[in-house]
Amino acid sequence: MRAARATLRVGNDRGVHGRVATRLAEIAMEHNASLRIDRDGEQADCASILEVLALALACGDTVHLEAAGEQAEAALAAAHLVLTRRDDP
Amino acid sequence: MRPAAAQPDGASRTLQGIGVSPGIVVGRVVVRKRPSWRAGRTQLPADQVEVEVERFLKAVIEAGRELAMLRERLATDLADALSIIDSHLLMLKDRMIYERTVEIIRREHVNAEWALSRALTDIRERFEQIDNAYIRERYSDIRQVADRVFDLLTGRRNDPSDEATGPAILVANDFSPEDTMHMQAGNVLGFCTEKGGVTSHTAIVARSLGLPAVAGLDRVTSILTSGDLVVMDGGRGVVVLDPDAETIRSGREEEQRRQAMAGELDRYLHLVSETVDGYAVRLSANIERLDELPAVLHHGCEGIGLFRSEFVYFQGQGPPTEEQLVATCTRLLADAAPHPVTVRTLDVGGDKGCLFLPGASAWLDRESNPALGLRSIRFSLHEKTLFQTQLRALLRASVHGRLRILLPLVCALSELQQARECIGEAAASLDADGLAYAPEIELGVMIEVPSAVITADLFAAEVDFFAIGTNDLIQYALAIDRGNQYVAHLYEPLHPAVLRLIRQTVAAGHSRNIPVSVCGEMAGDPLCAPLLIGLGVDELSMRPAMVPRIRRLVRHAGMHWLRRLGDEVLRSQDSDQARETLNRALAHYYPEDFLQS
Repeated sequence: MRAARATLRVGNDRGVHGRVATRLAEIAMEHNASLRIDRDGEQADCASILEVLALALACGDTVHLEAAGEQAEAALAAAHLVLTRRDDP
Repeated sequence: MRPAAAQPDGASRTLQGIGVSPGIVVGRVVVRKRPSWRAGRTQLPADQVEVEVERFLKAVIEAGRELAMLRERLATDLADALSIIDSHLLMLKDRMIYERTVEIIRREHVNAEWALSRALTDIRERFEQIDNAYIRERYSDIRQVADRVFDLLTGRRNDPSDEATGPAILVANDFSPEDTMHMQAGNVLGFCTEKGGVTSHTAIVARSLGLPAVAGLDRVTSILTSGDLVVMDGGRGVVVLDPDAETIRSGREEEQRRQAMAGELDRYLHLVSETVDGYAVRLSANIERLDELPAVLHHGCEGIGLFRSEFVYFQGQGPPTEEQLVATCTRLLADAAPHPVTVRTLDVGGDKGCLFLPGASAWLDRESNPALGLRSIRFSLHEKTLFQTQLRALLRASVHGRLRILLPLVCALSELQQARECIGEAAASLDADGLAYAPEIELGVMIEVPSAVITADLFAAEVDFFAIGTNDLIQYALAIDRGNQYVAHLYEPLHPAVLRLIRQTVAAGHSRNIPVSVCGEMAGDPLCAPLLIGLGVDELSMRPAMVPRIRRLVRHAGMHWLRRLGDEVLRSQDSDQARETLNRALAHYYPEDFLQS
């Protein structure tokens, strides 16, 4: 199984809010890969908007992204972009 | 919860809430009371458990179908509303709601309503602990999604506009964004809700519909009765119940005055962007997706000043094909015609990685300074095959409109020369294939690093236009990563160094008679836009929705005083002084726009 990992900082001013979490969940579903996000050991499955929202990630927070599955790299790349961007997706 | 002052003082009384969408209306109310969830717990016999799971599943599927139908009916330019429905669709299937409810039904042998309300309580408890109001308020969305399923389970339907006869102000505990969207064609004057705040989706949708709304009115559904006459001020967050004749009269007057103001911005949609003394300033759009085109046309943008071409590259499982790129660009050029479309070539790297692209190995080597690494034009020149595909597609699309090609992050003339060779190569390969392209395609460079500004005179002799990317220019000039919370406050568009760099670029461009645009966030900022024009910038490219507002500023200004303003701000010692000068001058020239804010 393929796996990919990245550490990044949340770029959106308002943190990971509804639109960002929605886009993340879409990415998780579009790809054949599981996508998890982790902040200091608190984890969420990106496919679950509510789990991601419940982490209440703020702008500048450092998070770890982990993707596993056939399309791990592509899923990770897309999620990386959405999370680090300053603008809303 | 915010207390609502409700003192009976004889005739009228005033309820104070949170103004979430401005406007004043006088009208009768229709109160929609949502019965609280009466989800009694029913213990099921073991053989009924799977039947109950099935019943829940059907309600979820049906709720999804309703949302999908609603989505179909919406105009594509209501991007905000569409994204709300998309997130509701995802929440519906979210495991914290869906799997958790099924799990409770199966484990405890209880009815679906009870299980769903338990799952919802767990989510509520988690969200109540969140400090960030913008995220915490998303609980109301979750609640609305669950309400929809709950209604289907109990066979109860609620359409608040059903009860309305004639134009009315709708009052409820909360409206789902779908509720508010149902109403756009209906007879609705405004909304009052008990729940919600400025960033709630109801507020966002109300603002996009241009309907006044007041939220946070505690117990308003009990205080008001359908048929009551009220005066509502969505700006101040006030609802006056049983108003006297004087309040009604002034409310009506205010209502008319505000409508005239809103109508005034609309008048600027299709006017020329020209100062009172006849200087034209092109106001164009920054976009990255084709579905933003309706907004570009709707807001009267004069072309696309920046098309960020990355989006198509991040959509699929690999780089897009030449045909896909041709289709995208053709659509852009054809829709924007006769206005020009500036397409920025692939701008990846830095904070925008994409690991399936060839050449991504460089990023995987963990660049220690991505902002100074293999990005933008450097990446394209490193991955020539990928670049060729994009250039061939751009050239092929060029016959459908007016194309301008923009090269990002150019630092030295040699990069421009190499890119030009690549374009020549693409043209030659199209000739060989017998494919057509426009004879004249403008080529420009993005001015976003200090070295490009310092040698702008050299570039000006070689290209057809300059586009100043202020976001990156500020970052590179001030050595500030604004994504870094510890230094982000030092990111300062009005820093004297930034203003001088802009001025210098304009001077270099104009000495060779080439136009200079700005396509960073400064361009769409009502405070900065007049300054940029005063510094001589010919085109401002911004979010489509900002164009009417900026156009209004342009049309009320004279070039002579904008230039004077530019000179004065340029003399500032620091950004505070620059901001002060701007605020003072703009409040003087545009009292309506700048005095209140």
